[in-house]
Amino acid sequence: MSKKGTSTFILQRASAVLLAPLSIWFLFEIVSALTADYATARAWVAAPWNALLLGAFFIIGALHMRIGLAEIIVDYVHSWAKDVFLFINWLAALGLIAAAAWSIYTLSFAG
Amino acid sequence: MADGAASKRPLSPHLQIWRFTVTLAASITHRGTGVVLYGGLLLMALWVIGLALNPALFATVSAIIHSPLGFILIAGFVWSLSFHLMNGLRHLYWDSGRGFALKTATMTAWLVYIAATLATALVIWAGYGGSA
Ligand code: HEM
Repeated sequence: MSKKGTSTFILQRASAVLLAPLSIWFLFEIVSALTADYATARAWVAAPWNALLLGAFFIIGALHMRIGLAEIIVDYVHSWAKDVFLFINWLAALGLIAAAAWSIYTLSFAG
Repeated sequence: MADGAASKRPLSPHLQIWRFTVTLAASITHRGTGVVLYGGLLLMALWVIGLALNPALFATVSAIIHSPLGFILIAGFVWSLSFHLMNGLRHLYWDSGRGFALKTATMTAWLVYIAATLATALVIWAGYGGSA
């Protein structure tokens, strides 16, 4: 864990608490959304509640997965490569948030 | 370790006395499913980027989704999320200081494996229009 261990610990738990109901919603919707054709899938994401919940799932999921994988990296990697992996882990989470927010915004308002 | 003699110390016997417990399996599976979900979210991002910005990318992702590989990826993602969600709630219950008794922990670990598998079957069956 990082030196900011306590706040990281709390953010990991808080994100888990928020992800629990979001995941239940996600499990109900996701298979039919993923297997839908182009037009149906676009309409599904653009529906306001879906856009909001999917956006929240991506963003809170990105924060949670970043902390979780950082913990795993720190457990197993003890060389200089540790910092490289931690940096890539940050980039992946930021990229996920940016890609999801931009895409969902486009589908909701500019699509 | 500096004096060389230290390396003759007996090794920890943990490899010889290790045995299967469902609570240990659940804790390893929690970590494994966390990593699977990490990859799954990144793949989901490709799907939504394609949907919003790049129809050619969407067509590629969609072709994979509708292949046998896609079915395995979706089923694996759904099982991982079901397991990680339920076992995560188990973790949060521990964080509240409860549920540590060995009997309780063993029972809830089995419960999580069984419930996650049932939930996955239901989600896949309903998601494919009750025809999968
Ligand atoms: C959005 C998808 C999710 C991803 C990508 C994800 C990823 C991860 C990862 C990589 C870890 C670290 C595992 C480890 O250190 O062994 C973790 C831990 C954890 N996750 Fe998730 N997770 C997700 C959803 C959830 C949900 C829905 C819950 C609901 C309760 C949850 C609860 C937890 C908890 C409590 C931990 C800490 C476990 C511990 O202390 O060892 N996660 N997650």
